[in-house]
Amino acid sequence: MNQLLLLQGSSEELRAFPHITELGTIKNTCVNLNAFPKAAVSGIKLFFVLDGKFQWTLHNKEHTFYPGDVALALPGQEFGSSSGVLEIGSFSFLHIDARLHMDEIFLDKWSSLSENEIAAISKILLLNSPLIITKFNEAGKILKCIQQEIFSQEVGYFARVNNQIDELFIMLTRQLTRQNNPGRDFSKTFMKLEEALRRDLSHQWTVDEMAVLVGLGNTLFNEKVKSYSGFSPLNYLINIRISEAIKLLKKSDASITDIALDTGFYSSQHFSTTFKKFTGSTPGNFRKNNSYIK
Amino acid sequence: MKCIITIELGTNAVRIFAFSLNGTTIGSMKGYYPTFHSQPDYSEQDPEQIFITMLYVLKNLINEYIHPKKYKVTSVCFSSSMHSTLAVDKHGIPLGNAFTWADNRAKKEAKEIKASALEDVMYNSTGMPLHPMSPMLKIAWMKNNDKQKFQQAGKFLSIKSYVIHQLTGEYMIDYSLACASGMLNIHKIAWEPEALAFAGITSDKLPALASVFATAGTLKKDYQNSLGLSADTKILIGSSDGCLATLGAGIWNSDKATITIEDSSAVRVVGKKILHDEKKRVFNYLITEDCFVSGGPSNSGGGTFEWFAKQFGDFTSAYDLNSCMNSLLLEASKVAAGSAGLLFLPYLLGERAPIWNPDARGMYFGINIKHERQHFMRATIEGILYEIYSVGKMINEHRHISALSVNGSFATIPLCAQIIADMFNKTVYVTKNANSVGIGAFLLAATEMGIFKSLDDAAGQTEIAHTYSPTEKHHRVYAGFFEIFESLSHKLGDEFAKISALQ
Repeated sequence: MNQLLLLQGSSEELRAFPHITELGTIKNTCVNLNAFPKAAVSGIKLFFVLDGKFQWTLHNKEHTFYPGDVALALPGQEFGSSSGVLEIGSFSFLHIDARLHMDEIFLDKWSSLSENEIAAISKILLLNSPLIITKFNEAGKILKCIQQEIFSQEVGYFARVNNQIDELFIMLTRQLTRQNNPGRDFSKTFMKLEEALRRDLSHQWTVDEMAVLVGLGNTLFNEKVKSYSGFSPLNYLINIRISEAIKLLKKSDASITDIALDTGFYSSQHFSTTFKKFTGSTPGNFRKNNSYIK
Repeated sequence: MKCIITIELGTNAVRIFAFSLNGTTIGSMKGYYPTFHSQPDYSEQDPEQIFITMLYVLKNLINEYIHPKKYKVTSVCFSSSMHSTLAVDKHGIPLGNAFTWADNRAKKEAKEIKASALEDVMYNSTGMPLHPMSPMLKIAWMKNNDKQKFQQAGKFLSIKSYVIHQLTGEYMIDYSLACASGMLNIHKIAWEPEALAFAGITSDKLPALASVFATAGTLKKDYQNSLGLSADTKILIGSSDGCLATLGAGIWNSDKATITIEDSSAVRVVGKKILHDEKKRVFNYLITEDCFVSGGPSNSGGGTFEWFAKQFGDFTSAYDLNSCMNSLLLEASKVAAGSAGLLFLPYLLGERAPIWNPDARGMYFGINIKHERQHFMRATIEGILYEIYSVGKMINEHRHISALSVNGSFATIPLCAQIIADMFNKTVYVTKNANSVGIGAFLLAATEMGIFKSLDDAAGQTEIAHTYSPTEKHHRVYAGFFEIFESLSHKLGDEFAKISALQ
């Protein structure tokens, strides 16, 4: 097994980058048993296949990876070969320190992505998980660039390496949204958005997040949603929220505060005013007139 | 100043219009709601979301166009797509989603009737061809497959009946929409006992029958307040989208027919008599005691062309689907009539009228080495329209059609309107206002108010924007190819059944 491997703690080159725990390229020339078992990942691990063919499992999904394909394992996800075998071929990888908390990925200060951007990227990555991105050579180029910068240590290499990691996240996210939205069929795209909103109705969705989800810029996204649905994205979301709230008011004995939070209103007050604006009555009165739960 | 609001509960969206009493549009808005397909053949919508979306759009429209100009809303007139079915419990609370018209889960129930003598009995009394989309069959499906829901159900409603019940507390259905349920005896204007028996229900499980001019009670106090409408605003139950599109196109008790082509399509005529078709292919909707909208629906239409555009359109320079379709139309218009002998059978979704074969499938026929991409584009459009022609031909067997009025986004494309004129060899009119369902609902409400003496009188008010005259030379070309088109769609019956079984 021929390899290039930098490990945090033992490789001098990584001292300036405490968030990079591993970086390297593995060239495997013969089949190795028990060399690549499945294991849970602690940070974020990215694999890019350069050569050969690998049968890997990511987060319970088995997939054959060919050159140009990327696997991105998120914190806590299992990754590796289910038989433990490492096949012949070569791949690059990058392991960075990151935490997952309340459906959001936390990167440390090295990243220059804004809080909103990270929130949007987290959302896309989690929604599309397990992350298997096929034919994405861009990732290979970025990994190569990171390796070269770290070895050559030319002026500005510190900033450049961190920028490249940010770049990697951005490009992966864009590729994912592009893969999902061929663009020719907005009704399909809208259905996908609608499903995502329903799946996570209690989340405080922002227009940015929704736009990123379908792979469109903000302005175009607003325009398309408005012309397709007749509503702005946030107003469309309110339709879903009120409709779901009505069902809960009629059919369950959950408290109005619980219903408000479950359907994504940030308080029972906010729920109450919005609900009244639509229906002319408060949720409490609506329930009195429409529910028959004893 | 007084005004009338029309609300169309369509397949994918609610469209609301405000009209002044002379028929000019004051404003319009739409709101989308989703359709869920959890399994093949299933097509469902959330009644609460439809209601809330309707309410939201209505409120926005009133706040933007009505209140600032101090209009007084005299009536709100409803229309909706047909064949939707929603079970509600005894308190009127929905038991799950509504099944839309496109829901085909009751296939088995349809086959059961078709194999029995009941089919003739049903067609004779209801005037409706049998199809899985019929609410009668959907209710029977619940009886057979979702017993709990069936037993809990206090009523079986259409989406329109549910929305009106939310607004006023009344359970009502107009004659024309009741016809669409497949359970109305159109001779007696009462629920047909044989149909109820097949569905496994009694008439108290259905909303009350009422004329299309009926008022459905008074708007609830809360909605009067939130919308700013007074208690004397009439809530008119109105009719179905298809019937009102016909009225809005100006076709009423004449020898003209309307052709509506949106995603799917229909050819309709209006008259004082029921069209009784020996082969049970023609539908009849009762509007008033002596007025029937009759015709045939087709599953193909703009949706079929959209399919073609998505698969084979050029998206390298197109901004979106619409611009891609426009460039396809432009290319197709440069090909001579008849697509150099390339034929297309548009049965991507099976077919209703005139062949009534859910197993029918699409096909390109007659391909030779000289055919190019643009021939396929034009052949696709022509195939959709040959099918419309064959529906028209079926109706013409019963009632002579002298001219046509076309509406709907696909039929009003100039290229399509011209091809229709050529195929039928008849003059084609396009009315000024593209929104014929909204206009139809307005005309109905205005007639109810006494502005027009009758629906006939009202229909005469529609203005014509374009006229297309047939070209004799093209008609001969199309007539030659149509013969092949028609015989293919009949001859391939066995193969359709086999291929659909394998799919």
